Parts: sequence; structure tokens; C-alpha cells
Amino acid sequence: MGKQILMKGNEALGEAAIIAGCRFYFGYPITPQNEIPAYMSRRLPEVGGTFLQAESEIAAVNMVFGASAAGARVMTSTSSPGMSLKQEGLSYLAGAKLPCVVVNIMRGGPGLGNIAGAQGDYFQATRGGGNGDYRHIVLTPASVQEMAELTVLAFDLADEYRITVLILGDGYLGQISEALTLPEPTGKVFEKPWALTGAKGREPNKIASLKLVPDHVLEEMNLSLERTYNEISSRECRSESYLTEDAEYLLVAYGTSSRICRAAVNELREEGVKAGLFRLITAWPFPAAALKRASLKAKKILTVEMSLGQMIEDVRLSVDNPERVDFYGRSGGMLPETEEIKRRIKAYGN
Amino acid sequence: MKTILQKPETFKSSRIKPVWCPGCGDYGVLNALDKTFKTLEFKPENIAVVSGIGCSGRFSHYFNSYSLHGTHGRALPTATGLKTVRPDLHVVTVGGDGDGLSIGGGHIAHAARKNVDLTYIIMDNNIYGLTKGQSSPTTPLGYTTKTAPYGVYEESLNPIAMFLSYDISFIARTTSADMKIMQKILTEAIEHKGFSLVYVMSPCVTYKALPYSKLKEITSPLPEDHDISDKMAAFKYAYSEETMYTGIFYRKEKSCLNERLQEVFQMAETSKTTSEIMAEFK
Repeated sequence: MGKQILMKGNEALGEAAIIAGCRFYFGYPITPQNEIPAYMSRRLPEVGGTFLQAESEIAAVNMVFGASAAGARVMTSTSSPGMSLKQEGLSYLAGAKLPCVVVNIMRGGPGLGNIAGAQGDYFQATRGGGNGDYRHIVLTPASVQEMAELTVLAFDLADEYRITVLILGDGYLGQISEALTLPEPTGKVFEKPWALTGAKGREPNKIASLKLVPDHVLEEMNLSLERTYNEISSRECRSESYLTEDAEYLLVAYGTSSRICRAAVNELREEGVKAGLFRLITAWPFPAAALKRASLKAKKILTVEMSLGQMIEDVRLSVDNPERVDFYGRSGGMLPETEEIKRRIKAYGN
Repeated sequence: MKTILQKPETFKSSRIKPVWCPGCGDYGVLNALDKTFKTLEFKPENIAVVSGIGCSGRFSHYFNSYSLHGTHGRALPTATGLKTVRPDLHVVTVGGDGDGLSIGGGHIAHAARKNVDLTYIIMDNNIYGLTKGQSSPTTPLGYTTKTAPYGVYEESLNPIAMFLSYDISFIARTTSADMKIMQKILTEAIEHKGFSLVYVMSPCVTYKALPYSKLKEITSPLPEDHDISDKMAAFKYAYSEETMYTGIFYRKEKSCLNERLQEVFQMAETSKTTSEIMAEFK
């Protein structure tokens, strides 16, 4: 293991991308993720990589499309309004089965909203904001260490399943500085026989998401995508269960809100209240089986989000007796408060 | 691994036949590009064709080379991404007046600023053909379309003047009516280092916004003494109201994106590394 260093979340993510072998980055400025393109613009040329500032979010995602088609490890990053603009490109990437890593450092919305961290893009991330039947893997880091580790993982998952992997962070995670140990490269190598390369002596590859003829070809492709999605669902669910074995009160959260919940759990335990935390690491696939296990003894399940309630739908779908599920959220860039979480948990006991 | 099915002497796909209407100008562009690459003795693995959406979008499926069919209007950024990873490929990007000048019009300026080393062919049929006849940014003022039953009330763009303003390093206009001239222009465009734009008047035989008969009336080759390094002269011909001039309007040698990126790599090599900078804060 390397030694600990101090880095900002956004910069740790950038360095981790380079560790993972990302040599192409295309992006457009938007707060609170500007440290990522700034870091990549300086750092990528040092390792022979290419940084381009695109003329728009739409241009950036389509540059990713072109670079991915050529077989490169490629990334773009943005924040909420920019993520909306990228949705068409993400749908086409899914239709063309091209791997890439996309980062959304969420901010307050809807519309231009504000630049504080928020979690209002959960529906967009997990249900898909683009057209058609598609999914992407959604990773939800909760620390600077995880911003780096999950970025390295993201590139391997993208190549393994030929899929977009979305790193769903928020403005707080992007901006905080924490000690971390930079991850090592995994060394995994993925062959890309489908890429626009190596055609000497054979027919050159063609990449398209248009499947016009014959009639059944699009459905066949969608069914093959579904098989991939099912495989991902069975193999790649990730979560953390913290003090859940005997938890009578279970908090469910991800990202920054899960850090606040962890503090609440620790304080409640000191006061003798059996509280626990279930934290998502993948929002899609949603770790439903693990959540069901963690919630077995829970009298109440409090979902805590920096939104008006989006993940709660997946929580309700995952647990037995969903009437146990309650909600506490703050939106528009405001943070849930430890004291309020504790107050609500204690109130359940009365 | 499949072996190449079609005869090596053609770049036109033998498996996928064009669905363009008989007589469509786009066949002319397909044939001219095929002949050009044959004359230049390229191999399929040296070429990538990138297209967007519309009648022009099908082009990449019909060409026996690497191909990438992307989103509507975004062929240029897609090609830029591809070219940064594969600078060895000759990238030909294809669009129409809807894909290239309407929904994707904003990208041309930025591909020009980067001087991406690729050839962009805009096949202008002055209409949205694939969706069956709606007005495009180059449909003539007053022409009746599916979405302009009282006649188009927006003025038609002047693409050549636009391209000149963007300082694109190679700008030419040609027509599907003259294969020999188109082939000559495509050859020069492909051999040009940097962003080359070949703007082809490619008439739609179904919706006839600017039919061959009318095109022949209004087009004329640029005067032989036109100096292609003289941008102001090029502007003058671009703005001509009575004649639609064809030929090479403007050409300028300048460094292209990949050369500029090589310079950046060299600067990064000689400057402080990020880890050196970080070490100073320990």
C-alpha cells in the first residue's frame, strides 16, 4: 500500500482515472466539478494522454463516443444540468454497446438550481434519462478514498460489460479534501475486437445504434443487452452494512448523506439505541437482497437523501413490510442534520 | 474473422444497398468518394467514415471502411474523439444541411478552431428528406414545404460565408452534377492537412427544393484567376447574389490538432510534473 496523501475529491477521481489507464478526457466547465477537467488538462499530457475542452456537454459526450469506438479508455465529467445534456449521447453509447466512464458531481436542481451538493439526480441516473431500454452501472462514493477506488473499478466494469459506468458523486464529495491512499492499477486487460482498429486483412468494424432491418434485429439486440444487465445485477451489487445485525432502526443512504447517517448511528448507539446504516455503493444495480437482509430486525427504516425522495422507491421495493419505510430529506443543496435524524429515530421508540 | 466480401476495387458496400431515392445527389458523392480513395490507393483499414442522422446518416453504412454512425448533428465531435485516438486514420465525416447546419451547426466553428485533420462533406439537398420534406436552414425563402405550407419565411443560410468566418483551412463547394470536379476537389480535401470542408450541392429529386435544372442555371465555376489564399476575394464570391460559385474558395496551411497535441506532450515533459508540484506542499 502506498502512503497517505491529502487530495480533493475531484482531483483524487482524476488521478484514479489515470491510474486506471484513462488517456482521453473530454469535458465542459460546470461547477462543482471544475477541478476534474483542470486536473486532467495538466496531468494527462504528462502521461501522453489527450485532454480536450469540448464546445458543449453534448460535444463532450459525442467525443467520448468517438474515442470509445476506437477502443480507448475514456472519461467525461459534469454536474447535474450538464448531465441532462449528455443523455442522448448516453442512450446512443448504450445502443452501440460502447464502454465509457461518466462522472456526475451532483448539484442542486431543478434547472440551474445552485452549486451546492445535492442528490436530486438519482432517478435520472438509475432509470436513465435518455430514450430506450437501457441501463448503466451507477457507483456512489462516500469519501475521497472511494472517489478514487470506485473510479478504478468503473473503468474495469465499463470494459468488462461494454457499458457506461456513471460515478454519482455530489458537490460536497467533489470539494472536500481528505487523506487517501491512491489505489493501484488492477492490471486487467480487456480485448476489444469490436473497436475501429486492427482491420488489416478483414472487414473493418462498423459501429452504429441504428438497427432498421430485419424487423427483429433491434429486439434481439435489446434482449442481449438485457442479458448483460441481468448478469450485472447478479454479480455487481455493492453495499456496506454498518451495525445492521441487531439494528431496530435502519438508516438507508448513499454518498454524503450516508456520512451524516453514520455519525447519527454512532451517537444513537452511544445512547443505547440499536441503530444501523445500510449504504449503497451501487445505485444500479440496486443491492436489494443485501438491504432486505440488513432490514430483517428493523422496526423502522429511515431513508435519508439530499432530495425530496427518490432512492426511497427502490428501498420500498426491496424490503418486506414496506410500510416500515419512512423518509427524511433536504433538497436544493441543503444537508440533512444529524440531530434531526436522531430526533426522528428516538420518536419511533416512543 | 470475416474476410472482405466485396471486390477490393470498390469501397461501396456489396452487402448494404443504399435506400436513397433513385437519382439522389448523394449517390454522386458516394461514387466520387469511392473513386477518390481508389485513385489515392487507400485501403479500407486506413479510412473511417463518421455520420450523423438524416439521408446523409446512412452514408457510413454504405462505405466499406471503418464506420461510426452517431447522434444527430454530432458527427464532428464524434469524429474528433475518434481522430484523437486514431490519428493514423483518414477520417471522413458526412452530414447534410439539417444534421450539419441546423442541429449540429454549432460544432463546425469548434472543429475549425481545433483544425482537426479530417474531411467534412456536407451534402446539401436544401430539405429534410428522410423525414419527408420539412424546411431546412438552406431551403429557399418562400419555398413550400411540409412545415411551411405558406412558404418558408426564414432566410436561407450562406454556408460558404459562415465557413470563411470560421477560418476553416480548406473550403470548397461543388455539385453532384459534375463527378469529375467533385472527385478532384475531394482528392485535394483529403490530401489537405487540417480541417477540410467540402460543401456539395446534392439535389433532392423527391422534394426538389433546389432541383438539378435550377442548380445548373445558377452555378458557375470560380474564375480561374481566383487566389485561394485571398479570403476577402473568397468572401466576395461567397456573397455573390446572382451566381452560386463552385470550386475551392479558400485554403490555408496551419498546424492541425494532432500536431498541437504533440507540442503539449513536449511541454508537459519539460515542465514540473503534478507529483513534483504536490511534493512542494508536503
